[in-house]
Amino acid sequence: MNQLYNSFTLFLSLLVEAVPFLILGVLLSSALLFLIDERQLIARLPRNPLLGSFVGGCVGFLFPVCECGNVPVARRLLVQGAPTSVAIAFLLAAPTINPIVIWSTWVAFQDVQVVLLRIAFSLAIATIIGCLFGFQKDPVPMLQPELANRVALLAKSQPQGKPSPQKEAVPALLQSGTFFLDQPGQPVRLDEAIAPVVGITPAQAKGRNTKLRLFVDNTVQEFRELGGMLILGSAIASIIQVFVPREVVLSLGQGPITSILAMMLLAAVVSICSTVDAFFVLAFATTFTTGSLLAFMVFGPMIDIKAIGLMLSIFKTRTIFYLFAIAAQLTILFTLSYSYFF
Amino acid sequence: MTNNRFFKFVLPWIDTLTLAAWGVLFLKLIITGQFRLLIHPNYAGLVLAAGIILMGVSLFKAGQLWKSRRRRIETSPQVQHITIFPPGWSTLLLLITAVLGLSIPPRVLASDTALQRGVTEALPITQTQRQSFRGTIKPEERSIVEWVRTLNAYPEPDAYTGQKVDVTGFVVRNPDFPDGYVLLCRFIITCCAVDASPVGLPVKLSSDQLDVENDTWLRVEGQMMTETLNGKRQLAIAAETAVEIPTPADPYKFAD
Repeated sequence: MNQLYNSFTLFLSLLVEAVPFLILGVLLSSALLFLIDERQLIARLPRNPLLGSFVGGCVGFLFPVCECGNVPVARRLLVQGAPTSVAIAFLLAAPTINPIVIWSTWVAFQDVQVVLLRIAFSLAIATIIGCLFGFQKDPVPMLQPELANRVALLAKSQPQGKPSPQKEAVPALLQSGTFFLDQPGQPVRLDEAIAPVVGITPAQAKGRNTKLRLFVDNTVQEFRELGGMLILGSAIASIIQVFVPREVVLSLGQGPITSILAMMLLAAVVSICSTVDAFFVLAFATTFTTGSLLAFMVFGPMIDIKAIGLMLSIFKTRTIFYLFAIAAQLTILFTLSYSYFF
Repeated sequence: MTNNRFFKFVLPWIDTLTLAAWGVLFLKLIITGQFRLLIHPNYAGLVLAAGIILMGVSLFKAGQLWKSRRRRIETSPQVQHITIFPPGWSTLLLLITAVLGLSIPPRVLASDTALQRGVTEALPITQTQRQSFRGTIKPEERSIVEWVRTLNAYPEPDAYTGQKVDVTGFVVRNPDFPDGYVLLCRFIITCCAVDASPVGLPVKLSSDQLDVENDTWLRVEGQMMTETLNGKRQLAIAAETAVEIPTPADPYKFAD
């Protein structure tokens, strides 16, 4: 009973820490609707997978959110037709490559090397994975079926979309964007087909009152959907915290490889927000290798139990599994080579 | 059809209620000070802001729903849900959690958590480099955490022998210790209760306190001495008085 009460307390503590950051992300994502003309932004994003994923990783610098806040933003980018490579790289890098996290890592460690390596490794991993997923030009097969179905349905019901006059002047295939080609007739641009799914097209957003209403509606909707996932993830994380002794995780190893594995496992289990994880990992600074601390700070923000809950609102389980596996392998590779060479 | 009506009319109100419940939960945690059992006070401002935003959004929604209760709701653009849950499921989860959070106060972590997380006599402090080190602090004014920090800076126990001690903490009975010795512990929080790490010092109790139980909060006064426990030479407190005190309202120490 005590244990259950303990895990409830930890659960509440995780939520009290994460929900404000989630709200920040949801507000940002809703503000994106109006502040940035996403179609223009997305049209300007490089289509080249390598360049796209690098840019996607760096875009995180504009959004000071942790892994609770980046999911709504990434989802919006993806749904508005951003290239897969950009969205995935953003999803993975944004929690680390942002001013707050860099600052908090610096405050905690006071060590330029740690800060730079954390940024470099995260950006490199995000770029590589973004690049890999960039070969899949059409994101639909990776998305949750419900979302994908709706896209297909909409594409069928209005195969032409509503092209604006100047767009008609240019053949559809010469415009940038993601298209459905399997329909008879004109190819359909993905973001046009999918815009009604998210509910709001820029054309609808006229007048200050309407804008405010749409802003609030979008905030409420995203908070509701992602909040539920956050609760699930936090519940699992806190139960594991209480019922699996931390010493089991820590005793997994002091060696160069096992310590990295142990810290990655800890990062996934603890599910702490990237904005504060540097302070947490510092408690292990004397007992663990620097390589393994880096592994914690690089891997944790990308994949943890809480974030997997949130990611399930975008991707199919299989996609998340691939993301997880590739991110884990790359983290091991990078941090191990750091331990080996330094 | 009834299903549709339900989603159109009832669900928005439940959404609004849920937002309000979370807002109230956050504001309550701040006002009662209970947030100090959950997170580092550095984040109090963030929690307060989140509470205010949630209340604001929920009031706005409520006003909007109230105004549009007669009119047919303008084809709300958010009918389409992108979620793996059936509609309403996620809201319900949020609402239940908020209600639980409002009705069950957070528990003060105790010896079971300390043992599970592994108390050592001197866990690593949470900052590798301290910005300032106050060496001039009087020994009897140091808390357990400050003793552990001091000990980390200069670990030789003999250097402290004979110094006066006046500390508070909760008792953890270490099964490996000989009779009469317990650990007096405090949790340090760097971010939230999830990362609370226990630190403690061994205490040699006076004969009348030998049966003190786990989780009892004590104020111990006495002197420092060097002891060999479990084959390890370490600093311990020789208690002259050990008075039972109620659990403090603010039981955790926070890393700076």
